[in-house]
Amino acid sequence: MTRRDATKEEEQGSSAIVFEGVSKRYPDGTVAVEHLDLTLPAGELTVLVGPSGCGKTTTLRMINRLENPSEGRLMIGEQDVMRIDATRLRRRIGYVMQHSGLFPHHTIADNIATVPRLLGWNKKRRRERVDELIELVGLEPSLASRYPHQLSGGQQQRVGLARALAADPPILLMDEPFAAVDPIVRHRLQQEFLDLQRRVQKTIVMVTHDIDEAMKLGDRVAIFEPGGAVAQFDTPSRLLAAPASDFVIDFIGADRELRRLALKRLDSLTLDSGLTAPFDEVVSRARSYLQQAGSGGIVVLDSDHAPLGWLGWEQLKRAGDATRLDALDLQPWRHRLYLHDNLRTALNALISAPGEVVPVVNDEGHYVGVIDRLQLTRQLV
Amino acid sequence: MNWRWIASNLDTIRDALIQHVQLTGLALLFGFLIAFPLALLAIRWPRLYTPSLALTGVLFTVPSLALFILLMPFTGLSMATSLIGLTIYTLLILFRNIVQGLRGVAPDVREAARALGYSRARQLFGVELPIALPVIVAGIRIAAVTIIGMVTVTALIGQGGLGRLFITGFTLDFTTPLVVGFVLSVALAVAVDLLLVALLYWLTPWQRGVRG
Repeated sequence: MTRRDATKEEEQGSSAIVFEGVSKRYPDGTVAVEHLDLTLPAGELTVLVGPSGCGKTTTLRMINRLENPSEGRLMIGEQDVMRIDATRLRRRIGYVMQHSGLFPHHTIADNIATVPRLLGWNKKRRRERVDELIELVGLEPSLASRYPHQLSGGQQQRVGLARALAADPPILLMDEPFAAVDPIVRHRLQQEFLDLQRRVQKTIVMVTHDIDEAMKLGDRVAIFEPGGAVAQFDTPSRLLAAPASDFVIDFIGADRELRRLALKRLDSLTLDSGLTAPFDEVVSRARSYLQQAGSGGIVVLDSDHAPLGWLGWEQLKRAGDATRLDALDLQPWRHRLYLHDNLRTALNALISAPGEVVPVVNDEGHYVGVIDRLQLTRQLV
Repeated sequence: MNWRWIASNLDTIRDALIQHVQLTGLALLFGFLIAFPLALLAIRWPRLYTPSLALTGVLFTVPSLALFILLMPFTGLSMATSLIGLTIYTLLILFRNIVQGLRGVAPDVREAARALGYSRARQLFGVELPIALPVIVAGIRIAAVTIIGMVTVTALIGQGGLGRLFITGFTLDFTTPLVVGFVLSVALAVAVDLLLVALLYWLTPWQRGVRG
């Protein structure tokens, strides 16, 4: 096989990451990772989560040989990482760290172009790639000529991500990438990152100590326990529905049920069509709807078929027969629920709703049905 | 002030100045060539740091005149004698500042360089050294100004740059050469210092506007 063929295979070969009985012990006797068997599937985002000192970071750092395993075998695709030159290996694995780790003496553009420069790309190709990446991670193009200290924490983190993606590596390693930014920025970065992953489809391994983040971002989550062993490795919904041990239950937390709700979207349910009336209906008709349905209230819709407010039985009883519904004091909902919202959001809306149901709308804001507590509870069984 | 003396001795003054610059420049160069690898060793094996610092520190405290006299049996009244002495005096400052500068590079920056696939040498010259530059240049500035003053002492062993003008003035009991030597030596120190500041400014565009 010629050298060129070998390089090609490295780039295109399957990039599943397989740990086979991998341990990491330090000379002072500390065991960071103990006999780890784990297969991180290609094209998926795997999150390693656990309390501090559980070996999750060491596990991540062994993939690009920032640490070398003491025993066992670590394969990327068909290749044993210990047989690949560490420098070459690292140049085809993206790496994002907690504090962006940007080079203070390089401009943003030069920071992003780090790996392409190490790989010897010419100037023109580097510049084009930098422009692409700046757009991809949502940075202002005018920032390209600035230095890192002139950027906010969130912007620096975006640059860190762009730098990791620069040479289009098949694998991306992320060590607590969103831990150092404030909660609002973190939420936005996480969301954008999920969208980005849907487009780029890389094999991503992310370390976090934040179980919420793990459940939100991971296709699969490996929960590590102290001593460097994996307590459970599964999809978020399986972890919530069937935790393997008391440690996992403890670690996921007492609000496990709520987290399960967060994994399901409203459009996955068959929504109740609910009881509705147009805004120009008269009170007497609305009262008869309610009596027929045996319901405690009604959703009033506007001319666009969007929910206007809730009318309870007590209100209707007191109003005059011929009064139009929109002349009454309609009770609005504090939260508008969309079909793409998850059930946890729905529960939150229900708690603060004026009636026993909350209307759900589609992306155009048109009424599609209602959700109530019974429907939510049924999802947990 | 005897301006006529200055006018008729311009060549002497010029030669003294040139020698002064040469001695200073060469001492800094040799000092750096010794201190830099020593600093790298001290960073690679931290146990070497304290003894290295102690050694260069002891050398720094040896009175300059005594050092030159100690060297005389080996190298005589030569330029080598004064260069060896002057170089030794740069070591402490250069060594300490190079180590401090390189140690001051943030761990996550070093980690990032490694993780992105920098080789060891490229990481040193492409990342760590540029970032350490302000601290290293600060050391060079102190060393330069110290050496410019100390060069004059080597006049006693037949070198001395502008220091020779002091000897002339002293033996002839004549103030003009003393004043000329003094003024030029101070001016040289100020000029070199400013030059290094300008050089640093030019080499570190990322530092501009950080701290005024």
